[in-house]
Amino acid sequence: MEQKAESNLEIKKKEAWQIGLSVFILLLALTVGEYFIGSIAMTWGLILLVIAVFKAFFVVRDYMHLPRLFSAEEEESA
Amino acid sequence: MTTTTLADYRRRVATNRLGLWLFIVSDTFVFAGLYISRFYLLGTSQRPELNQLVGLAVTLVLLASSFFMNRAETAMRYGDRRSFLRGTMLTFLLGVTFLVGVVGVEWQIAPFGPGDGAAASIFYIMTGFHAFHVLTGVIFLAVVYRNGRRGHYSAERHWAVEACAVYWHFVDVVWIFFYPALYLIGVPIM
Repeated sequence: MEQKAESNLEIKKKEAWQIGLSVFILLLALTVGEYFIGSIAMTWGLILLVIAVFKAFFVVRDYMHLPRLFSAEEEESA
Repeated sequence: MTTTTLADYRRRVATNRLGLWLFIVSDTFVFAGLYISRFYLLGTSQRPELNQLVGLAVTLVLLASSFFMNRAETAMRYGDRRSFLRGTMLTFLLGVTFLVGVVGVEWQIAPFGPGDGAAASIFYIMTGFHAFHVLTGVIFLAVVYRNGRRGHYSAERHWAVEACAVYWHFVDVVWIFFYPALYLIGVPIM
């Protein structure tokens, strides 16, 4: 029983790490995209701002865990 | 540890979390003021002349640090102390690398000083103010790492780790907006 709970936790941790990795890859791709947009079209400020908002959204939601703020109590981790 | 004590701790964490987010919102207004000043002074057609590769490199370093911070916090949330310590140390090292990249490299090679006009001044104030926040985060990381090594945190009780992670990601979010504003938008003017 205890072993099963432990492996459940391990699976949950790996799922959370997977989300973190996906967000990181997305942020990397968008940053490299920004770099090339900035190099070829220096006046595309609005597009670069939209990309920045998009990147910030993922960091705030998935890394800063903003939704936790609206949960009544600390959610169970174990 | 009794159930009641843990319930109390969780209630306290919920309150602390609200306090931290209120601080972050108030700090956001300061950074937003600097961000708006940059566009007020230079518009969208001008920017300071900066090394593009250094800008990209420090940005990627900060993003990588956020990834490892997230990994460290998640590890502690599930009681994996070893991965937590490794992730925190990597975040610390990447934070120091970012500081060296901005203050030790970009500031030194920039072809202007803080008093050389509006573009120069806004560049130094934006990067300098942000660097102070990174320095604060690096100190916070060192404290959390030290306490983590001493076994002060557990899967149930690790508010300091979460606070450190949220603060670190906030510093990353600020740079997400500063990077295009300083390095990409507009034509170099000096």
